[in-house]
Amino acid sequence: MSETPGTTPANNSLPLGPTPRFLTRNFGVPGIDRIEVYRQHGGYESLAKALTQFEPDALVEEVKKSGLRGRGGAGFATGMKWGFLPKDNPKPRYLCVNADESEPGTFKDRVMIMEVCPHLLVEGTIISSFATKVHHAFIYVRGELPLAERQMARAVREAYDAGLLGKNILGSGFDLDITVHRGAGAYICGEESALLESLEGKRGYPRLKPPFPAVVGLYSSPTVINNVETIATVPAVVEHGADVYAAYGTEKSKGTRLYCLSGHVERPGNYELPLGVPLRTLIEDYGGGVRGGRQVKAVVPGGSSTPFLKPSQLDTPLDYESVAAAGSMLGSAGVIVLDDQTCIVGAVLRMTEFYRDESCGKCTPCREGTFWLVQLLERLEAGHGKESDIPLLADICDNIFGRSFCPLGDAATMSIVSSIKLFYNEYLHHVTAHGCLVGPRARGVAVGAGANV
Amino acid sequence: MGEQQELVTITIDGREVSVPPGTLLWEAARQLDIEIPIYCYHPKMDPLGACRMCFVEVKGMPKPMTACTTTVTPNMVVSTDSPMVKKSRRGTLEFLLINHPLDCPICDKGGECDLQDFTLRHGPGGTRFDLYKRHYVKPIAVSDRVLLDRERCIACQRCVRFCQDVAMENGLVMMERGFKTEVGVEEDAPFDSIFSGNVVEMCPVGALTAKSYRFVTRPWELKRTASVCGQCSVGCNVLVDVRVNKVLRQYSRTNDSIDEGFLCDRGRWNTELVNSPQRLRTPLIRRNGALEPATWEEALQLVAQRLRAVASTHGASAIGGIGSTHTTNEEAYLFQKLLRAGLGTNNVDHFHGRFPAMERNGLPWVWTDSIAGLEKASHIVLLGTDTYNRQPIVDLRIRRAIRKGTRVYVVTPEPSRLDRLAAGTIRYNEGQTGAVSRALLSAVLSEPLTRGDFATKRAASVAALRDSLAHTNTEALAAFAGADATALRALAREIAQADGAVLLYDEMATRESTGETLAQDVLQLALLTDNFGRPGAGTGPLMEDNNSLGARDMGLLPDQLPGYRMLADGAALAQAWGMTLPDTAGMDYDAMLAGGVRALYVMGADPARHATPEQLAQLEALDLLVVQELFLTETAKRATVVLPAVAYMEKDGTFTNTERAVQVVRRAMQELPGARADWQILIGVANALGLGWRYGSPLEVLAEIGRLVPLYAGISRRGLGAEGVRWPFSAGESDATGKPTLVGSPHLTWTMVEHGVTGNGDGAEPALPRAHGEQG
Ligand SMILES: Cc1cc2nc3c(=O)[nH]c(=O)nc-3n(C[C@H](O)[C@H](O)[C@H](O)COP(=O)(O)O)c2cc1C
Ligand code: SF4
Ligand code: SF4
Ligand code: FES
Repeated sequence: MSETPGTTPANNSLPLGPTPRFLTRNFGVPGIDRIEVYRQHGGYESLAKALTQFEPDALVEEVKKSGLRGRGGAGFATGMKWGFLPKDNPKPRYLCVNADESEPGTFKDRVMIMEVCPHLLVEGTIISSFATKVHHAFIYVRGELPLAERQMARAVREAYDAGLLGKNILGSGFDLDITVHRGAGAYICGEESALLESLEGKRGYPRLKPPFPAVVGLYSSPTVINNVETIATVPAVVEHGADVYAAYGTEKSKGTRLYCLSGHVERPGNYELPLGVPLRTLIEDYGGGVRGGRQVKAVVPGGSSTPFLKPSQLDTPLDYESVAAAGSMLGSAGVIVLDDQTCIVGAVLRMTEFYRDESCGKCTPCREGTFWLVQLLERLEAGHGKESDIPLLADICDNIFGRSFCPLGDAATMSIVSSIKLFYNEYLHHVTAHGCLVGPRARGVAVGAGANV
Repeated sequence: MGEQQELVTITIDGREVSVPPGTLLWEAARQLDIEIPIYCYHPKMDPLGACRMCFVEVKGMPKPMTACTTTVTPNMVVSTDSPMVKKSRRGTLEFLLINHPLDCPICDKGGECDLQDFTLRHGPGGTRFDLYKRHYVKPIAVSDRVLLDRERCIACQRCVRFCQDVAMENGLVMMERGFKTEVGVEEDAPFDSIFSGNVVEMCPVGALTAKSYRFVTRPWELKRTASVCGQCSVGCNVLVDVRVNKVLRQYSRTNDSIDEGFLCDRGRWNTELVNSPQRLRTPLIRRNGALEPATWEEALQLVAQRLRAVASTHGASAIGGIGSTHTTNEEAYLFQKLLRAGLGTNNVDHFHGRFPAMERNGLPWVWTDSIAGLEKASHIVLLGTDTYNRQPIVDLRIRRAIRKGTRVYVVTPEPSRLDRLAAGTIRYNEGQTGAVSRALLSAVLSEPLTRGDFATKRAASVAALRDSLAHTNTEALAAFAGADATALRALAREIAQADGAVLLYDEMATRESTGETLAQDVLQLALLTDNFGRPGAGTGPLMEDNNSLGARDMGLLPDQLPGYRMLADGAALAQAWGMTLPDTAGMDYDAMLAGGVRALYVMGADPARHATPEQLAQLEALDLLVVQELFLTETAKRATVVLPAVAYMEKDGTFTNTERAVQVVRRAMQELPGARADWQILIGVANALGLGWRYGSPLEVLAEIGRLVPLYAGISRRGLGAEGVRWPFSAGESDATGKPTLVGSPHLTWTMVEHGVTGNGDGAEPALPRAHGEQG
């Protein structure tokens, strides 16, 4: 490779080379999901280091210094989140690992960590619990991921058997229990407060905030909730030190991420790359470019809850700030590539159906709005729509966005609002030509078609 | 209220308002009379933030905020009608209406529906939705009493949260998700709560409707009268909803110190009392062994003539009266006045619990705390009372206390609906509430667990009491009662260590075989463990009927005059009435029924219902049995003269509830043709006897009560206002709702204790009473 993706030009003496593998170092090692193999490859050494060389507060500082930000979507600084735990609350504290990964286009937590290298998450959970003075951690695994759940449960069992969980871990005096909990299959339970409700055995409805989980979380006790990838990164921060970790990425987006590349590319899959890697590099160098030599029509950079980027934005560096500046969000780093033969109305309809079906139904705009949006999109896609349906879609989105109870409602509007902006003509074509502009069901003559960019 | 709180000043629509910190924007706006539409929010439940109807714009915030979840912060500037707010509200309403069916014309809620009203005031004029609505089978029965139309539901979760958080009972739950969200009932958890009707009232739309009220009226055809429910001793404030002289339902009329805006299903929907076709519509006179219709004139003359006849042959003491626990204070007062002043006898009583006789100037056996005070208790102990069935809205308040952390002990013979939520339950054999209470008292005395001023200052009396109970102990009493002695001892210890325990017993438990000493044992238990004289601590009976306490207060007692004045102190009354009063105690309820009298006048009571065969025979052998009643009861069937009376919805007056709040009952409809209010009937009889009573209305009777009954001194209709007043009416101290209270009034409390319990008000160390039946 001619360039070192995601590094600032000034920073050319990188400690671990241009593409460090903080998370995926052992990917491909046979049997790495078993504790012996994991330990042969340096597993649980970070734990030992953390327990012997750090005080909990110093670990929190170390994570702060590493610049690690949440990998679940919002990108909140992890060390700072841990610091929000009240110091004087007499209640027990909990850590919940958010393994509900359900965002369309996102499959990093499941594949790269839980299925393949579950001990990495167990190790990260123990270190993070030690840092936050937690003695009971929960791993909330999405209901539809039975293999991931089995792998996690076995890894936790192995860790207990090896004295890495339970009382007095590695003679440090630190006690921790981990409970692996399998959800019942609801996207909303990935939202942290709905996750807590679900863990408590209630319906997966998001909670009113404030109070925030750091203060009133699981069983009304102070609780940290972090994404699988976030927690799985902690051992690397301990192993290499915050400075090494922070040497990667951009000024505000440090380290690496697992980018989930999917859609119309030659080599879809997970790629661990430093933050700030240009979208084009990911698609072309790693993904092998668009399938069948076609052109990119649009890219969803951070899971289906993030607005489309257009082909002219392919050079956007994939870090939180740059993607935001381009009008979208890095989100879960689920990069979905749509080629030029994709009917945008059809694609948006598919995504909107997901939100309609996964809306928890608590609040009016999301519950009723997504129901209406899907019907309108169905009508448009089928070629029976009216021209006024297009601004109506946009206005319904306006009545949902910023008016829903939780971010799911907002998320449902992203693909619609951005696609109407970018591909208005394609919507219009469905009205005037009563069918798709492109793709196998294309109908009518394309007049000045494509992206109006 | 405790310390003075700094108020927070904010501006809403250009007007300033100052409210305590933590106030929700919705509440702050309400204080300025600015309506912010709400669906999911309900002032008696925690904010949810689900419906997204209550949007306001807060300066500096990019997005509209929900007023039901946003609390005030200093200098906040809020707009409730900015373009952003208007668009957001229209958006929410448009969303709610896309799936709402167009059956408003036949919907029971139409006319009092928040969806209609808010759409009118805040909604879009039309909809842009031209696609397919969701459809469901409609309606489905979610219980015997409530129907659910899922198409109309706007998923505000009020009903579900009421069941879960307020009633804490099985009931309605949310099912499915997203646009398929629906309300429903789990198969194994039926919605059979006595509180179920509240969800019908709370439902902002017509999704939940009452089976009994379906399709019978439009709300605007109702004549609504603010009154008080007369179906149990709680006295919830209601609107009596009447259409063409038929009561269709009672609706809540929030009184925060009593009902908080909730009603039980009995109060809400039991309209049979007044609507029944079985009601008596004409006086009946026994002729040739059968009851036959008669005119009022005939009936009243006959009653007077026969009463006089009995008096002249057998003397006034051959006449007796059994009054009612249902009729108004005014009627109870007139009843005993008729017997005492008109007929010259103290043979007057009513069906009531057994309480030790009170001494001179004694204060009544009442609940020393209040319904609202339950929320402050650390412990509530229920002795032989089934609040869920008997005083449901007190039960609901107990549930609120439980939610706040109060430990409740249900000490009853039968399992109760509160058991599931209780910190503990203790069971015993039917009829043994007295033995169980004495077992607790015995544990307190023997361990000993006594604490506090009362016990310390009266050490000698405590010792005497301990001696008087020396022949028995907790274990023996528990064994006698069939209760677990260990559990009783543990409970006694908890009571003795409680921050504040409220000990409540059922009035009628005092009538059980071991109930004779129940009232004083429980009072002693409270006194000796220092659970008294503070908010959230106290004791007392839960009364049987809506005016059980009023009946006592008004002197339906053979040995005491109105306000518990001793017979010997009747001079003032005699003078005011212009009559001489009999000065010997009369016969009590049982004595009268045991053949003690030749003529019996029964008002609003049905002694035949609980009568033994011998008592029934005595009833039938009477020379004269006069019965004032709504129905041809078992007693009325045996009467010489039956005088048809009316229900509480048909008359004016006052009731005194179980926490001794006196409240105004208003006439909500025409009397049933042919029937008369009890007070009118009593005046008719009095005047037929030539007594020349000139009361024009119950108001005048109340005024007389205020003048002549010290306990109710100063009471007036105006003073009672919309929500009534809790006795003592003139105490300096008041509770959080501004009402005077016994708890906050140590002087009165102690006076009551010393008079009521010891009968010794002169300051010397009073002796604790001996348990009844013990040798002294
Ligand atoms: C609708 C919705 C779904 C979400 N799903 C997930 C998820 O599957 N996994 C996840 O880690 N975070 C998810 N999140 C984000 C979480 O709420 C939370 O921010 C995250 O778990 C915090 O962890 P982090 O700080 O490590 O990113 C979701 C958020 C929303 C609003
Ligand atoms: S936006 Fe509202 S309905 Fe949608 S998932 Fe969040 S709370 Fe539920
Ligand atoms: S049934 Fe009524 S109260 Fe219950 S959720 Fe639906 S609209 Fe709300
Ligand atoms: S009333 Fe405020 S969100 Fe429902």
